[in-house]
Amino acid sequence: MTETTTTEPWLDSNQKPYIQIENVTKKFGDFTAIDNLSLDIYKNEFFSLLGPSGCGKTTLLRMLAGFERFTEGRVLVDGEDITEIPPHLRPINMMFQSYALFPHMTVEKNIAFGLKQDKMPENLINQRVEEMLELVELTDFAKRKPSQLSGGQSQRVALARSLAKQPKLLLLDEPLGALDKRLREQTQFELMDIQEKLEVTFVIVTHDQEEAMTVSSRIGVMDSGKLIQVATPTQIYEAPINREVADFIGDVNIFKGVYKGQDEKGTQLLSEDSKSIIYATQKVDVPVGNRIWFALRPEKLEITKKLPEVDCNILKGKIEDIGYGGSFSTYHVKLENGRQLTAIRANRERTAEHHLTWGDEVYLHWAPHSAVVLLS
Amino acid sequence: MNIKEIQIPTFLKRIFNGRNTVISIPYLWLLFLFLFPFIIVLKISFAQPVLAMPPYTDLLKWGESWWPTIQASFDSYLFLFSDSLYIHAYLSSLKIAIISTILTLIIGYSIAYSVAKAPTQWRAILLMLIILPFWTSFLIRVYAWIGILKTEGLLNLALTTIGIIDKPLIIMNTDLAVYIGIVYSYLPFMILPLYANLEKMDMSLLEAAADLGCRPLKTFWTVTIPLSLPGILAGCFLVFIPVMGEFVIPDLLGGSETLMIGKVLWGEFFYNRDWPVASAVAIILLAILVVPIMFYQKSQEKAIS
Repeated sequence: MTETTTTEPWLDSNQKPYIQIENVTKKFGDFTAIDNLSLDIYKNEFFSLLGPSGCGKTTLLRMLAGFERFTEGRVLVDGEDITEIPPHLRPINMMFQSYALFPHMTVEKNIAFGLKQDKMPENLINQRVEEMLELVELTDFAKRKPSQLSGGQSQRVALARSLAKQPKLLLLDEPLGALDKRLREQTQFELMDIQEKLEVTFVIVTHDQEEAMTVSSRIGVMDSGKLIQVATPTQIYEAPINREVADFIGDVNIFKGVYKGQDEKGTQLLSEDSKSIIYATQKVDVPVGNRIWFALRPEKLEITKKLPEVDCNILKGKIEDIGYGGSFSTYHVKLENGRQLTAIRANRERTAEHHLTWGDEVYLHWAPHSAVVLLS
Repeated sequence: MNIKEIQIPTFLKRIFNGRNTVISIPYLWLLFLFLFPFIIVLKISFAQPVLAMPPYTDLLKWGESWWPTIQASFDSYLFLFSDSLYIHAYLSSLKIAIISTILTLIIGYSIAYSVAKAPTQWRAILLMLIILPFWTSFLIRVYAWIGILKTEGLLNLALTTIGIIDKPLIIMNTDLAVYIGIVYSYLPFMILPLYANLEKMDMSLLEAAADLGCRPLKTFWTVTIPLSLPGILAGCFLVFIPVMGEFVIPDLLGGSETLMIGKVLWGEFFYNRDWPVASAVAIILLAILVVPIMFYQKSQEKAIS
């Protein structure tokens, strides 16, 4: 069990959180951007704040950096209350969405800027700048001005500059938002490597759920200034706590219905999408007759032409649309009641031997343990 | 009968195409309205004053031969350097121009900065207020300052009424009045380029500096000022160059001891009727100004690239 305590400190009550956000509220006039939010982040975590635009994630990040004052609540970093400390004295650095590189300074001057403010001796500054340039593989670009860099290079200079002072906490505001998809995916892994190597606690703000899933140790899903769920990427994806989270992270098929009790196959749901009762293994503790929902990820829906040899969870439908994605295909299947479901199947064979095409009559089915039961 | 098409020679077509015609407009403008007058002034500066109409000798004299003889005289220039009045006037103008440019920069920067930082809906109104005085004639505005600054003027009246002073301040007809007049009149020329620059400055750069441990005042010197340098230069040249040759403000607000080259120039033309010396004064003034103008050009080129 020692293994889990080091990689998942949030499960261990003996571990002391590194960043403690306590009952924080931020109001802009009448508008509440952050609503009584509390969150503990542990040392060396790569924590993502994920949410739609306007959910308050950037405001929270800017409050941690010190650019927005707190209406209520406080934040402790390594036990020290930083709520009233101005930004230039906080042991926190931020990587800006626009990178905010100083256009009148060379790459090395940009990286050295923070170190100079600390009155670090010249030779130590040079040494540190060199280390950082090596880390982001930009040694040859030291003398360039930001205007002479590509987007990816600027992004790495911004990262090097924000890491140069060895902050206790690094805040990253949509760090990969301006990069194209390929570079973004590559940079995600670089970010993870750097974070591991330097052992700095990262808090990243993103609206890209794939990015959050890839890089994070934990994700906090935000909406309307509140945290809806804080969990590991796997838990967020496989066990969302409500329809909102399920819907925001990835695609999902949701079955609405009435709880009919439990039997040996699991929780029974009577849904208008199915003529018979459908099942999920997960147990719930609500009175029979309550409204509940089943959430099912598209890749967990099996799509076949032949009637599958299982005793439950079979739906019949017709293929409306096929989206070919190379490694997988997305099928939109219309049920008999007109409801449309999404199923994803990996394209394991080069040529489509299964011959699924538009208008085909197909069966969808799933194993009861693949479905998540949601109460709200 | 076939109408034969008139063939325009290709070389003419090439010269008078649309692109060249458009480009030529500013060049013709400069040629007729700047270079020609300049050559005329230059020509007069090499002549001798005479009691005639026009009051100077011709530069070219047509004699018996086929070509004219040139009668260039450097007397006017030599005269300028022999009489210390002119050198003093140049130096005094330079001093007044430099000091008032610095004063205008300090006042203009703070105004431009506060307008650029003001809420968006306020900016247009504030800019309007800065430009508004231009709707009144320049002369009237300078005359209005006489009413404010003179011994029994509004300022002294206000100060004595409040009881800050018991004897009226002597501001009118001093260098101080000239500085007040110049700073007041040229302030918008400083504010507008500075505002244009500061307004588009990326505020996240200031946040980044703070985030990296830079105190607000130091951020101002290490980030804001260097980034607004193109605006500072533009504003300073827009003020310095015209102030150098300023005539109206020292004439109306300054005293007899306020020496400015513009005033001297006026005197040479209209009181002494010595056009060659007046022209020489103008040519030397231009030579002095060409240096900062060239610097300005260089800085503009840099800003564009």
